[in-house]
Amino acid sequence: MFHRSLLRRAIAASLLALSLWAGPPEANAQSTKPGLDFFSGLDFNFKDMDFETQYKFLIRLTPGFKWNFGDHWQVVGQMQIPVLNQYGTEYSFVELRALNISKEFNIKSLYLRASVGAFTQNRYGVDLKAFLPLCDWFAFEGQAGYVGSVFLFPYWEIVAPNRFVGTIGGDIYLPRWNTQFRGVVGKYLYDDIGAEAEAMRHFNHTTISVYARWSNKFNFDGGFKVIIMLPPYRRTHRAVNIRPASNFRLAYTVMYRQWNNKMYYTDPEQNERDGWFSRDLLHWGSHNMEPDFIIKEKTKK
Amino acid sequence: MKHLYIITAVLLLWWLPQTVQAQQYTGISGLVHIPTAETNHEGDAFIGAHFLNKAMTPDTGFLYLGEKYHTFDYYVALTPFSWLEMSYVCTERMRAKDDQTGQIKWSKDRYASVKIQPLKEGKYWPAVAIGGNDVFTTDLGSSSPDVQLYFSNVYIAATKHFTFAGNELGLTVAYRHFFRSYNSKWNGVVGGITFRPSFFPQWRIMAEYTGNEFILGTDVLLWQHLRLQGSVKDFKHFYGGVCLQFNLLGKKYTY
Repeated sequence: MFHRSLLRRAIAASLLALSLWAGPPEANAQSTKPGLDFFSGLDFNFKDMDFETQYKFLIRLTPGFKWNFGDHWQVVGQMQIPVLNQYGTEYSFVELRALNISKEFNIKSLYLRASVGAFTQNRYGVDLKAFLPLCDWFAFEGQAGYVGSVFLFPYWEIVAPNRFVGTIGGDIYLPRWNTQFRGVVGKYLYDDIGAEAEAMRHFNHTTISVYARWSNKFNFDGGFKVIIMLPPYRRTHRAVNIRPASNFRLAYTVMYRQWNNKMYYTDPEQNERDGWFSRDLLHWGSHNMEPDFIIKEKTKK
Repeated sequence: MKHLYIITAVLLLWWLPQTVQAQQYTGISGLVHIPTAETNHEGDAFIGAHFLNKAMTPDTGFLYLGEKYHTFDYYVALTPFSWLEMSYVCTERMRAKDDQTGQIKWSKDRYASVKIQPLKEGKYWPAVAIGGNDVFTTDLGSSSPDVQLYFSNVYIAATKHFTFAGNELGLTVAYRHFFRSYNSKWNGVVGGITFRPSFFPQWRIMAEYTGNEFILGTDVLLWQHLRLQGSVKDFKHFYGGVCLQFNLLGKKYTY
């Protein structure tokens, strides 16, 4: 009897120790757990097409917030504050980069994200994104928006929504090499009609792509992109979180055709690695890789 | 001055055993001036800069008041797959000099390099790669053809390695064609030899024939992230480069 009791206690103690050692439950990040996040990153731009000055820089702080209030409802807001501006006076103002509400949901295998409010590129209006995976390696994607323009500084200016924009295309994903090909055609913000093709390789915390694009108004362009997910990669989730921006994104264009194939972002942290949808909703493509961030829940003592 | 170059070369070859692997001035794997059929490891990324002696720059495009000058380039390079390397290179060009301050104004020449390895090295056959530098231009007919694509060339290369007592000997033969007539001296069959000692495989010694001159070089990978390269052309003209190397798949390689 004594031995059996001792054995039970030992097993219980071992289980307790194991549970303590394992720590609190962990969940994947890049998800939409309810909470309010304050974050800031840098909008880093440079151009090297100027004959007199080899490089010109434009660096802006981008403080913002994301309020996830459950069931994939989200309110986002972000400002853009110039820190270093060698581009010209038109870039010297504080700007509203985004302030909108969005909802992600799916109807069977059709994933949708609807957004209303102010978007990047000084646009506001309504936007709908759709993603339809047909199999593990192929999916259709589409985006449609009806937008006007809005400027806060140096003076208030707002133009009523007057323009339909949208893209439609497809994505091919090769899981073995974490390689993605994306091709879309569409009508863009400056009324140009064009096409884009991109090939990207997803590495650990980094995605690198080469791309080409064409627009009927602005001709050909191309270049490369680097998306780096920023540390810390292990985070604790609280009701209110202060963190760095999720990613740093650099897009290099060979021709510096800054107006062609332009489209706004609804999510200020949107990037080609994560795509449009939360990884806890859409399990396709790079969302099947190891998550960049591991979020530990803050447990009450 | 001649003695200085010789001393530098000797120091590089003798002292650098504590340091060396290789990169070309384009960020693509190779020897000093000639390409090889090797590729870097999948996921390798490089950010580097290379001093370019005026003896090895093209005879057009890198002249100021009729004189050639030393310059440097800088690059980012990536090996997204084990069979593909890509890089983006900027080479500094002297554009003008301020008569009052003496300050030199620089511009740059940009180009991309690509190497594809359709055949990996086997026990009995060499690796084979095709590639090119500076093949595309953004200057679509707006200026004379001679003022663009300064480095443009394409090549096919074969490389085979042999090991003995843990040491590695590499042989490379390539056929290269430059598109600009002022670079035609580097056309034709080129080749080189590399040696990697067993006691320090991060170090590489190389000798190459560019089609016009002989180059002796060495390079090393330090602390898995820092690459240094030094070389001399005809025992007179020094080249050198430094680059930071990372593997984006998180893998660690000795060299």
